[in-house]
Amino acid sequence: MVNSDGQLFTIEGVAAGLIMLFSAYLVVSATSIYTPGDTHISDMQLEQLGSDALRMMNTPNTTATTGESLLQNITKNNDGVRFKETFLTFCNSTTGGSYDNLQISADLFYRDTLTNSVKQFHFAHSRNLTGGEHAVRVTGWVHLDLTGGGSPLSVAAPGIDPRVQAGLMEVLLWRD
Amino acid sequence: MPDDHAYLSIDFLAGMTIFMVAFIWVATMIPGLLISLQGGTIDYDAVAYRTGVILVEDPGMPANPPWENKDDMQKDEIQRFGLALTKDNPNILAPNKIERFFCSTSFNYPDDYQRRVIFGDRPYSFNVSLSTFDAMMNWSVGDVKPDGGYGYIRRLVKIKQPSNATINAPAFRNSGGDGNVTGHVFSVHINCTRLLQDVRNPPYQIDPLRERIVVNITNLMNAYVFTDPTNVITLSKIIIYRQNPSQPLAQVRTFDTSYIDGGNTASSLPVIVNDNASVIFPAGFFYGMANENSHLYINYTFKLNTPDCFFNNSFTSPYDYDYSPIRVTQPLLKEGVVEVAIW
Repeated sequence: MVNSDGQLFTIEGVAAGLIMLFSAYLVVSATSIYTPGDTHISDMQLEQLGSDALRMMNTPNTTATTGESLLQNITKNNDGVRFKETFLTFCNSTTGGSYDNLQISADLFYRDTLTNSVKQFHFAHSRNLTGGEHAVRVTGWVHLDLTGGGSPLSVAAPGIDPRVQAGLMEVLLWRD
Repeated sequence: MPDDHAYLSIDFLAGMTIFMVAFIWVATMIPGLLISLQGGTIDYDAVAYRTGVILVEDPGMPANPPWENKDDMQKDEIQRFGLALTKDNPNILAPNKIERFFCSTSFNYPDDYQRRVIFGDRPYSFNVSLSTFDAMMNWSVGDVKPDGGYGYIRRLVKIKQPSNATINAPAFRNSGGDGNVTGHVFSVHINCTRLLQDVRNPPYQIDPLRERIVVNITNLMNAYVFTDPTNVITLSKIIIYRQNPSQPLAQVRTFDTSYIDGGNTASSLPVIVNDNASVIFPAGFFYGMANENSHLYINYTFKLNTPDCFFNNSFTSPYDYDYSPIRVTQPLLKEGVVEVAIW
């Protein structure tokens, strides 16, 4: 006797299954991929700008003289005022001539021979950090030739080794 | 007795087919319908960031020969714009790439830029601007920025200023008896091998094959030995010779224009000169005629009305265009800023 047992009479179910599969495919293929930077666009923009400023300050304009970059010269001479002015000029300039309102605080990290540890030397700031700022952090290595130990940086930071070395310049950057 | 369970009618099959075709058609349109619901600002900022990276950190494609050497007839061969000098020197821009990128007669806004630097599926509006900190150079392409609601990135750069030579003519006055003639030749020597090998860091290198070469000859009115107020100097021709290894010296080109006595427009040769003559060989001028092993000689021929000992080094040695700061003003980097706005 023929009855309905085992028969594929649920053709509607098959059609619905196909529709669901197709819908799932559509949803998956339409998913956007977000990069981590997308969630903090303003931070990314500031980090990029600060990183560019450090890189440009650390690139000599010519090989005609000593080949020393501006950042090397400023750091060796412990010239915080010039660092602040130059860095702010770099990161606040726009093509239209208007001036952005970014502020900085910079520290130099070096190896201290007196305590055999890494020490932090406050280098420059344009505003005091109060804790309420939403600052980003950028860093750059500075090649320092402190051979002889007579440079202003060696005087200001007595524990710094009088030799050729790399220091780490850290800049906190925020918009006022 | 068999029943009709699980049998498909023709009507159902036809209906189902029409439904599926309609469904697929509508489904393929959905992404387009939803495009206006995307996170617009996030998308704009991401596109601005990507455009900034391409412009500032990428030298563009094709790289060799470089895209900026493609003329207007060949611009379809340019796949991607990029202003960086090389891939290893991000943020250091090449002036010839900048001039080509912002050339409004060569490239149309927005189509030519859309598919070579902005990319993306949407027809974005944009503005790209570049200026130096001293405001001596300003470039811009695109629409005027709206008051708000656009994606933005600002990048700091250094723009390479090519080398140039300024030659004081009286220092090369020929006082020998054989030089008391009407025709005088002064030769400038470009040793491509030395220029490309002595300095290998591209930001500070003199690259005659890719960069502009400028030769200024000054103070010609004081280069006479005998004072004759009726004498007239004519720069009659400029011929370029090339010597490759194991090949004889051969004439490869002539150059037919010069900026005379501080004028802003180039004059065709031959031309009368009172005091100074500047010749600007545009970037890429020597690219096709020389390689990294070539020696190039730029020979200036001056004619005088009456014989005199004049500006002439054909009896001594050519003037070397090299890394000596006494002879040649060396390449210099100039700070600038690039802004990209997308909306």
